[in-house]
Amino acid sequence: MRRDPSSDFSSGPELSDELRLLCMLHNIGATASERSLTLQQISEWTRMETPALRSYLQKLIELGYVQFIQIEGMDKYHLTLDGIRKVLSIYS
Amino acid sequence: MLTWEFPPRVVGGIARHCSGLARALAQDGHEVHVVTLDFPGAPAYEEMEEVKVYRTVTELGHPNFLTWVLLFNHFLEKRMADISRQVEFDVLHVHDWLTAFAGISFKHYLKKPVVLTVHSTEIGRAQGLHNADSFSIDGIEWWSAYEAKKVIVTSHSMKREICDHFHLPWDKVEIIPNAIDVTKFNASVDSGAVRARFGVGWGEKLVLCVGRLVPQKGVEYFIRAIPMIAQRYPEAKFIIVGEGWWRDYLEGVAQSTGHRWKILFTGFVSDADLVALMSSADVLVVPSIYEPFGIVALEGMATGVPVVSSQVGGLAEVIEHDRTGIFVYPKNPESIAWGVDRVLSNPEHARWLTQNAREIIHKTYSWEAVAMRTAEVYKEVVE
Repeated sequence: MRRDPSSDFSSGPELSDELRLLCMLHNIGATASERSLTLQQISEWTRMETPALRSYLQKLIELGYVQFIQIEGMDKYHLTLDGIRKVLSIYS
Repeated sequence: MLTWEFPPRVVGGIARHCSGLARALAQDGHEVHVVTLDFPGAPAYEEMEEVKVYRTVTELGHPNFLTWVLLFNHFLEKRMADISRQVEFDVLHVHDWLTAFAGISFKHYLKKPVVLTVHSTEIGRAQGLHNADSFSIDGIEWWSAYEAKKVIVTSHSMKREICDHFHLPWDKVEIIPNAIDVTKFNASVDSGAVRARFGVGWGEKLVLCVGRLVPQKGVEYFIRAIPMIAQRYPEAKFIIVGEGWWRDYLEGVAQSTGHRWKILFTGFVSDADLVALMSSADVLVVPSIYEPFGIVALEGMATGVPVVSSQVGGLAEVIEHDRTGIFVYPKNPESIAWGVDRVLSNPEHARWLTQNAREIIHKTYSWEAVAMRTAEVYKEVVE
């Protein structure tokens, strides 16, 4: 069952907020270190508030789906291979 | 060939299908170009056993799933435009709706026929159309089937489903079953070492379930069968292979059985580990509630593990009850427990099932046979 992470209305089992965020990060292209995004950029794309975003990202890092990196002193995030596979399994 | 997944970008059965088909077509003398999406670590272009593979980066993104699909189709089109300046295509083979936009555009641009393989439908996957995106995907699926000159499906049940749902002419749809690389699943495996690596001790039964962790795969019903199986076989261990958005929920269900410590969720595993686990298991359970084909059952049959499967969709055509596997009722934990017991309680019968299953696999489900039939479809649409 395909769950659209940004769908306005839906029914049936829902994705958790963390997985919704993971899907959005994938769809906006944060799938490699050179395409990683800052918290600010992710917030602009997803319209999520920074505190919630920080907490979801932490959970995704713990699950091994998101990698945190520092590039030129900036904190950035991108999906890991497991994170990409997780999203694709949601879309299949 | 246009596909959104191609190894190493492997999610479900489409990547394996496209890879097997493309290689077999190339071996048969056809020139095969696969245009697909990129994957970290995979080259933008490579030749895999004479198949030319082009991986495309999607330079623009959008959080919305459908918008993202439209965007990556644009980049696929761009890549195909580059390729078509050097290669003259005869047929465009599109796999599922996700790459349909690029395929349809190129059909009109190149004036070449499109063959569409429908691996599953939105209405089947979601067991209904529950939201705006589902309705839209359903429409795209209909549109791509309309634009295609021929539609290929992998089972009679899928042919019935798409002819009924999309009102397709019966003779527009060809059934060509899926296949597997038998040699890959016939590997010699040190079962003791594999079982030890996955925490299964000597003398313990290994009950394996393989499938994406999404509702249509029915893994929930397998987990709910575990207490019944464990009552009869207290030494049994249960391994669930696959990843998916329902994993948290399923782990919760596993917790509620009281047998959580006997259940291992492996997540995604490599092909080598999948073969090793199947070759080392005492029984493979395929509890799907919707399954257009059911390639996992074929893979299990090829490794020689007895297969217990729900009697739905393509699975009902792949397996013959009590001859090449055991059928159980879908969404029915009691029935799954019965099927597992039927295999575990009678090793001699289980061996007979696996011998019959292997014979069928070798005769019917080879990539060479599938490539030959697919090439016939290509020939028909080109004429």
